[in-house]
Amino acid sequence: MEPDVSIETSSMIRIAVLPIGPIPPSHFRDYVSMLVRHHKIELSTISSFYTEHQKSPFAQQPWDSGTLRFKFMVSGSPPSPWEDFQSNRKILAVIGICHCPSSPDLDSVTEQFSAVSKGYSSSLVQRCFAFCPGDSQLEDDRKKGGNLILFPPADRQTQEFHLQTMVQDIAASLLMEFEKWVLQAESAGTILKTPLDSQASLSSEEVIKAKKRRLGRAQKTIGDYCLLAGSPVDANAHYSTALELARLTGDYFWYAGALEGRVCALLMDRMGQKDPVLEEEVKYQYNSVILHYRKSFIQDNAQRVSPLSFELEATLKLARFLCRRELAKEVVELLTAAADGAKSLIDASDRLILYVEVARLFGTLGYHRKSAFFSRQVAQLYLQQENRLAAMSAMQVLAMTTKAYRVQSRASIAKHSLPNEIGSTHTDGGKIHHHSVVSLFESQWNTLQMVVLREILLSAVRAGDPLAAWSAAARLLRSYYPLITPAGQNGLAIALANSADRLPSGTRCADPALPFIRLHSFPLYPSQMDIVKRNPVREDWWAGSAPSGPFIYTPFSKGEPNHNSKQELIWIVGEPVQVLVELANPCGFDLMVDSIYLSVHSGNFDAFPISVNLPPNSAKVIMLSGIPTKVGPMTIPGSQGLVLSDPFRCCGSAKLKNVSVPSISVVPPLPLLVSHVVGGDGAVILYEGEIHDVWISLANAGTVPVEQVHISLSGKNQDSVISVAYETLKSALPLKPGAEVTIPVTLKAWQLGLVDLDTAATKNFSGSTVRQGKDGSSPMLLIHYAGPLENSEEPPTNGSVVPPGRRLVVPLNICVLQGLSFVKARLLSMEIPAHVGGNPPKPVHVENSSSEEVTGSESKTDRLVKIDPYRGSWGLRFLELELSNPTDVVFEISVSVQLENSNNEDSDSPVDRAAAEFGYPKTRIDRDYTARVLIPLEHFKLPVLDGSFFLKDSQTNGTTGKSSSFSEKNAKAELNASIKNLISRIKVRWQSGRNSSGELNIKDAIQSALQTSVMDVLLPDPLTFGFRLAESCSGQDAKLDSPKESDYQVQSTSSKGSVLAHDMTPMEVLVRNNTKEMIRMSLNITCRDVAGENCIEGKKATVLWAGVLSGVTMEVPPLQEIKHSFSLYFLVPGEYTLLAAAVIDEANDILRARAKTNSPDEPIFCRGAPFHLRTRSPTVASLGFKLAAINVNLDSLPKTPEVFSLDFRIWFQNAAIQP
Amino acid sequence: MASTACFMIVSRNDIPIYEAEVGTALKKEDAAHQHQFILHAALDIVQDLAWTTSAMFLKAIDRFNDLVVSVYVTAGHTRLMLLHDSRNDDGIKSFFQEVHELYIKILLNPLYLPGSRITSSHFDTKVRALARKYL
Repeated sequence: MEPDVSIETSSMIRIAVLPIGPIPPSHFRDYVSMLVRHHKIELSTISSFYTEHQKSPFAQQPWDSGTLRFKFMVSGSPPSPWEDFQSNRKILAVIGICHCPSSPDLDSVTEQFSAVSKGYSSSLVQRCFAFCPGDSQLEDDRKKGGNLILFPPADRQTQEFHLQTMVQDIAASLLMEFEKWVLQAESAGTILKTPLDSQASLSSEEVIKAKKRRLGRAQKTIGDYCLLAGSPVDANAHYSTALELARLTGDYFWYAGALEGRVCALLMDRMGQKDPVLEEEVKYQYNSVILHYRKSFIQDNAQRVSPLSFELEATLKLARFLCRRELAKEVVELLTAAADGAKSLIDASDRLILYVEVARLFGTLGYHRKSAFFSRQVAQLYLQQENRLAAMSAMQVLAMTTKAYRVQSRASIAKHSLPNEIGSTHTDGGKIHHHSVVSLFESQWNTLQMVVLREILLSAVRAGDPLAAWSAAARLLRSYYPLITPAGQNGLAIALANSADRLPSGTRCADPALPFIRLHSFPLYPSQMDIVKRNPVREDWWAGSAPSGPFIYTPFSKGEPNHNSKQELIWIVGEPVQVLVELANPCGFDLMVDSIYLSVHSGNFDAFPISVNLPPNSAKVIMLSGIPTKVGPMTIPGSQGLVLSDPFRCCGSAKLKNVSVPSISVVPPLPLLVSHVVGGDGAVILYEGEIHDVWISLANAGTVPVEQVHISLSGKNQDSVISVAYETLKSALPLKPGAEVTIPVTLKAWQLGLVDLDTAATKNFSGSTVRQGKDGSSPMLLIHYAGPLENSEEPPTNGSVVPPGRRLVVPLNICVLQGLSFVKARLLSMEIPAHVGGNPPKPVHVENSSSEEVTGSESKTDRLVKIDPYRGSWGLRFLELELSNPTDVVFEISVSVQLENSNNEDSDSPVDRAAAEFGYPKTRIDRDYTARVLIPLEHFKLPVLDGSFFLKDSQTNGTTGKSSSFSEKNAKAELNASIKNLISRIKVRWQSGRNSSGELNIKDAIQSALQTSVMDVLLPDPLTFGFRLAESCSGQDAKLDSPKESDYQVQSTSSKGSVLAHDMTPMEVLVRNNTKEMIRMSLNITCRDVAGENCIEGKKATVLWAGVLSGVTMEVPPLQEIKHSFSLYFLVPGEYTLLAAAVIDEANDILRARAKTNSPDEPIFCRGAPFHLRTRSPTVASLGFKLAAINVNLDSLPKTPEVFSLDFRIWFQNAAIQP
Repeated sequence: MASTACFMIVSRNDIPIYEAEVGTALKKEDAAHQHQFILHAALDIVQDLAWTTSAMFLKAIDRFNDLVVSVYVTAGHTRLMLLHDSRNDDGIKSFFQEVHELYIKILLNPLYLPGSRITSSHFDTKVRALARKYL
């Protein structure tokens, strides 16, 4: 069998092309390629070389339209035993090719050529073409002539023309030879035999039969020559005769041959035009051909020779003729039939050719899987031959099947895809590849794929092609490692190593082997080097460009919708960058990665290769780094296509794990600020409320000056940063490269929350008191900075390109430890009775028992003790804070109150205002101790007692409409505002050790303390009682007539502070109604001496009286006051206390609520504040210190009785000097 | 029963989702590969032939040496392919029809993703039983 046969093969003249003498292969190929171009010679072009010696037997030759076809058999071919049967199998001409520079002796060339051409006995024409002859050789040639034709050196075109002429000459010679042969054959007749004919001596009967057959065979052969001579009509005539004769003699083999020839003649006549009728005709005729070849099968010599190959060839010829998509079914049937014949073929090479042809035809038909199947059969036949050349052929054939089995090498994909899609980008190619890589895993044809790859590996090893072997082993290992046993994996690893050893170093294979590489991430610049796009228009150029929160995506950000899909990276010239990749070695052997680095084709990157050792079944994330060197876009091609199905979790799922590759651009150098905290970068350990200064040093480590800078805060606990010396930084601009600036930042440690406390407690328990500031509760300084707007070196371009700015994040690592903690806070009040008509007492010291030293000035302290205008007594309020110290250091507490001095007429001077802050003695709290700190509060009360405060309690008086609720709200707001105002003026500072100090946050504590006792502290009593001496009413009136001044201070002291004993003293009691209702009551007045004995009634009464002192019934109109006069006569000089009390009749709900009574029947008892009255003997003027017992108003204390652990005394100094 | 037979279900995406060697002949690794190669190649013919007829059973559509490929194409273009060396068209047809029913039951399983590999051992047992019965 012969490869590449078609119906037209019968009309082709075979010419052997042989190299003569030594000739470089490249030259030989070059010359042959020039020659083979002339495979079709128009008859019209050769007429000039043709001379008609006698009458041509080709009467119908179409000189104007016919052609001669050449089939060049490069390097010749052995003579076929079937050349009598089909004349086109003969080598009819020999062309020698000689390269003159390498064969100087032309004589020897001629000799060699004639020797070689003798081997081709059937050849009719011989020519030897000698190329590139030297001058001497040209000289030499002129003498001789003959078959040697020299092609003088000339340009390519001339040479080709020369060659064409020579080929035309050959064609003409051949034509003349054919004529000669035909004429001879017609006259003399020839004996034509095939291997099919019996070799044994013929019987007489057979001799007669053979004679008859001989005529038919001769006609068929003449027909063949007519076809070769390009005269189909003549051929047809001869074939028809031959058919007739062959049919008569039952010479089926030759009949089929003649029939084949006739079909060829038919097609030649139509000159390649195909129409359905012709197709049908050809199909019909060829089926007949196939049938007759089959008929000619003779059993007795089937072992030796068989016409089967002709039958199969005919089948293939028909299949090739019909090979179109529309006729696929018929072609498939033909090819299947042909393939079936393979097992009956005796010659292995025939089978090979058959499979090759079948594979080719299936391929032409578009049946790639079929084609691949037969190609693999071919490869197997080659592999059976066990020699290197066959193995190479096997390898090449298998390489063609890889596409159908989807195990292509990357190199072949690149080769095929590039010429097809010129415009396609790199990514497209990558995509195709992804598909194929994934399909390896997805497709369960993996058995086949593995077999094919294994065969490729085997053939490559046998053929000695290390690159192909490496590639196959790599593909096998990479794609199918889960299906390969560890032993097999090791074998493949060894194959890889062996192949690699034989490859020249630096060889690259397009196919990846292990390890799997997956792009892990492109780490952004660390927050210290963050790059921020600069908006040249806005003052705050960083705004909007940086993510403004912990979320990568917020639905509220107004960025472009596709902003998130494609990440953009900016790399900076000269600053190292990193890319993280994950390497996985899923196989059972150690993998040593000698060198892996970022390979960037854009040429603006210096990569640092690293080497990795991967143990079996392991994965590592490694960091590849490098430095961008030039401005421009950058692509990392490896990562473009680096989308791999996860080798560990992929099978069965159709998901792709897709890591988007950001587009990277490299920008010119930017300034780079580097920060460090002066004194170490560790966390600052602070107690709650501690105030601390931190110095942060900023240095420009870049090569560009910093020209713009802005500091902002972010993160949690931002309010703990009290101040940042922004101006210092501003004034240091522009910060030249290498320059450094230090800015102070004042911090105040925040309060720990409950959770924090818990963790702190556990941490403390476990022994580590230092909590790391990494829990994210520390605030951060965001420093946005940028270099100059435009590069001075470059001319200002359109202005659109502004070098980006950067952001430096300086985390202020604060570790807050639990400091002093509040246990309790409560409000205490103290009453000091007022003097009737006397000088107001002036308190001297407020001595805290727990403090050692006494500080403070009298005048400041005085102001805290004030007359309660509603109660008519001196009141002093304390906020008692109970603090515990759970830490292991000592705290010292100092309290300061900023005094309200706005309506103090006396202290107008600025000095007083500045000094209006009063420091109290310090309180020391030892570790693990609890201590109480007293903070004096200014007294204040609301002017009117009405229902608004009891709304919650007394819903029954629903007559109050919306207006009242409004006023209630107002009152509440007023109350809250006053509380807030009060609190804001109190500062509790602490100090611990030499250098840590801070402030306690007491706001919440006070608020809660005030809330519980707010009623008692702030609300006035329903009734206010006051005493005065009846004669000196003018001066004393003020204290009751001006209740609006909440902090009214009695400055205008009357000249007479006391009354004389043994004298009738007329007095008045003033009762004021603080409610909005009329109050009816009965008033009682009592007088007590120093011992607290009632000195009006009883046996030892020391005071006589005139007027009514008990059961005085009176009605007080709302917000009015009423006087009741009486007189007292003191028998003994000394201190007396006047007390007024009243029982209110028909008390309303408000009064009941104020009195905190529940039963409506209970009488409401209202007691006034005690008033002191000092009586003296008229002769002695006295100056002294008086000790007053502290009268604690128990109403203001919590209801649960408690032991007053802190005893305190207050000294009052009587400063009034009596004359 | 046929001495050699290889049954395979190929999903509409040309991916085999089930394969079974159901012949009585001794199993050889190489032969199994060869069977798969033949069935794989036959897909080319099925893809054209399936559209020329309304019948699901396409009969013997391809052969290689002594082995014949019979194909049954479901409505969803899942191909049941049988490689066999016996000529028992009726038996093969019945086999295909019953396997088709089994396959439909597999498809009805809400946990089965159409086009994925059939891993049910029950299905495998049933198919082998059918093969013994009809082939």
